[in-house]
Amino acid sequence: MDSSEIKKLIITSMDPDAAPGEIAGRLEDEGVSFDFRKGFSDRVIDKIFGVGLVVNRQVEFLRRFNSAFYRVALTGVAAIIILMISLFLMEGSISFNSFLGLGDSYDESIVCLLTGD
Amino acid sequence: MISGSDSQTEEGELVKASLNGDKRAFGEIVTRYQKMVARTVKGMLGDSVFAEDIGQEVFIKLYNSLSEFRGEAKLSTYIQRIAVNLTLNEIKRRKRFFSMFSQKGNSEMSEFEVADHEDEKRNDAAEIVNKALKKMDPKFRIIVTMRMLQGYSTKETAEILGLPLGTVLSRLSRAQEQLKRILEKL
Repeated sequence: MDSSEIKKLIITSMDPDAAPGEIAGRLEDEGVSFDFRKGFSDRVIDKIFGVGLVVNRQVEFLRRFNSAFYRVALTGVAAIIILMISLFLMEGSISFNSFLGLGDSYDESIVCLLTGD
Repeated sequence: MISGSDSQTEEGELVKASLNGDKRAFGEIVTRYQKMVARTVKGMLGDSVFAEDIGQEVFIKLYNSLSEFRGEAKLSTYIQRIAVNLTLNEIKRRKRFFSMFSQKGNSEMSEFEVADHEDEKRNDAAEIVNKALKKMDPKFRIIVTMRMLQGYSTKETAEILGLPLGTVLSRLSRAQEQLKRILEKL
């Protein structure tokens, strides 16, 4: 088939009344074919099932990380509560100053402490 | 081995087996439809390494959404829709990317890539088709790909692209006009 016939066939394929299946077949016979590289199917399967393993590992890591986070968080909350109770018992109140260990200090004494005078 | 005379029933069995993690069953689906996907993706994006990446993405997306496949439409139609959507998204992404770095007008050329060494190997018919597709507006290129390369009827094209029949008919006519102008210059 020469180039003018091919061009005509291409244009005809756009006619609403044309038989596109037949035209596509004829073009394929003329070498108009598309395909992926050899081994495409294997590469897809490797990607899907390989990714699955990675995803499973990620899910497992997140699950363990969450459980570790909850343990650390609970211990932290318990430590904060114990610290506040001990502060209350020592200072008699839970103010910001007592929390920072500045219970009976005045501004002048802090300046002296910091400057060394 | 999966058996069955009715191809749709057989496809249903392949889908079920794939959902149960049967690699061979899904491999069979990929082998059956890879040429169809290649026609859509390479017809729209050109013959480049990116086309294969999109092709792989089509089947990965298919695998991940296989549980949503109810069998109301044919499996081929379902795959074709995924292929069309991913390819159009890639074209939009490339247009955005190239429009950032190139002058106005160059972006349309950039989203269609053809490897030179591949082009050399092609015969006359393939070269004409490829050059014509390269110069087409993506909106019409998808219609041409569905008709000329996939051989779909107007109704099937409308169903896959999710467009009204009238829109497909009008785009067919405009695509034909554009093709005539392009092919005259080739």
